[in-house]
Amino acid sequence: MRTKRENPPADRQSRNVRRPWAALLVAAVLLVPFIRPAVAGGAEAFIQSTADKVFTSYTGEITDEQRAKAFREILTATFELGTIARFTLGRYWRAASSDQRKEYRRLFEDFLVLAYANRFRDLGGVKLRIASVRAINKRDQLVQSEVDPGGGRPPIRIGWRVRETGQGLRIVDVIVDGISMSITQRDQFAAAIRSSGGKIAGLLAMLRDKTGPRQ
Amino acid sequence: MQPTRTFDLRRAPARALIALLCLTGLGPVGCATSPPADDPEALESFRQTNDPLEPLNRVVFAVNVETDRYILKPVAYVYKEAVPEPVQDAIGNFLQNLSSPAVFLNAALQGDADHAGATLLRFAINSTVGLAGTVDIAGEMGIVRRDEDFGQTLAVWGADEGPYIVLPFLGPSNARDALGIAVDYFADPWTYLRYEKFNYSRFGAEIVDARARNFDLLNDLEKTSIDYYAAVRSLYRQDRRDAIANGAEAALPPLPDIPDDEEDLEDEEREPARRPAK
Repeated sequence: MRTKRENPPADRQSRNVRRPWAALLVAAVLLVPFIRPAVAGGAEAFIQSTADKVFTSYTGEITDEQRAKAFREILTATFELGTIARFTLGRYWRAASSDQRKEYRRLFEDFLVLAYANRFRDLGGVKLRIASVRAINKRDQLVQSEVDPGGGRPPIRIGWRVRETGQGLRIVDVIVDGISMSITQRDQFAAAIRSSGGKIAGLLAMLRDKTGPRQ
Repeated sequence: MQPTRTFDLRRAPARALIALLCLTGLGPVGCATSPPADDPEALESFRQTNDPLEPLNRVVFAVNVETDRYILKPVAYVYKEAVPEPVQDAIGNFLQNLSSPAVFLNAALQGDADHAGATLLRFAINSTVGLAGTVDIAGEMGIVRRDEDFGQTLAVWGADEGPYIVLPFLGPSNARDALGIAVDYFADPWTYLRYEKFNYSRFGAEIVDARARNFDLLNDLEKTSIDYYAAVRSLYRQDRRDAIANGAEAALPPLPDIPDDEEDLEDEEREPARRPAK
């Protein structure tokens, strides 16, 4: 969407000077439609640049460790990990001690790197196409996008839930072909806690075991 | 240590028996231990998990995982690595084309005339110009494929998913989708072909083809899960919800209002100060 930016005829210009309210009104009418798209455009550009970063850091011959490192950098810079960590612990968050919360957040980041850094290794160099942006609530927007994996396979739909935070836009969930990362992790963590008798310590031990020493 | 396996296979028969007893109503206790009634949050999460047969399901799941490890996975690996990719594509296309009549039927039953028509057209084009379905010409023409099955049809008709069920060999399902599998079997015209060998081969090929296509994904998932069973259960539910809604955005899983953690961070930061020094 583009506005026509033709210079108004000279006589109208002079009339506008004489009637400043009319000029203000015109300016207001011209600007109003751009307020919402400007916000949406922010989320769109944010996702586009994040995705480009992800997919370019996957191209070329790199080792799994390098990929993990690149992934962690992008993850910590663009995701609201504290919020996601808290969400995935669900109702157990309140029962967790301050130390447990801190350890959980550290382990959760390691776990995401382990679980997802290599999940997209075949997508090196692909291009993300933004399909739509809509507001979910006051703070969150859902950016819908598509990636063509090539080889005649159907496009992968990726939804990004983006939140306006104090540090700018941050991702709070990624939904691939209708499957939410945050919900999947919340569900399996809840099962892990239940199987260890409702103890968060059980989940922490499993996460520690899974992620191993930090690289 | 393998935390994903929460039980010992040697004890599986006993567990299966217990689960069987509770299934048939002979057992004195419920199947999965329901949380105490005075814990509404736990009860709600038990209800949401929708897995009252969890003990039995975990046994079947474990058997499926072992069957996969020793039989299906090696076969799929050889298929994936030894068969040239164009041949794999042709086989995949051929199998998809065979399922078109069933997809057409379900799309029609769902009242989706557009998709029923598209599926019929796909079948006509691919069966002829597409060399007996081995080339997805229709797809290249922009008539996209989308699977429909009777489980989805029941959902469109308003049926609830019913409890989560892990089927032997077939994997994750639920009461509604399991019934759907049975109906699809009888509704599929190829079932009535007099060539039993053809149907067995088709069934086998479908399983190997699907396993090979999801080879890396399933491996990654198993390797990186905290609780593989629970992860698969969650993925299955979300995937089916997406399939029923045909990927429409409106049917995204109800995005939970992810609470901001700022307040809690502040709490955490304040806490040490409030605590009396030891």
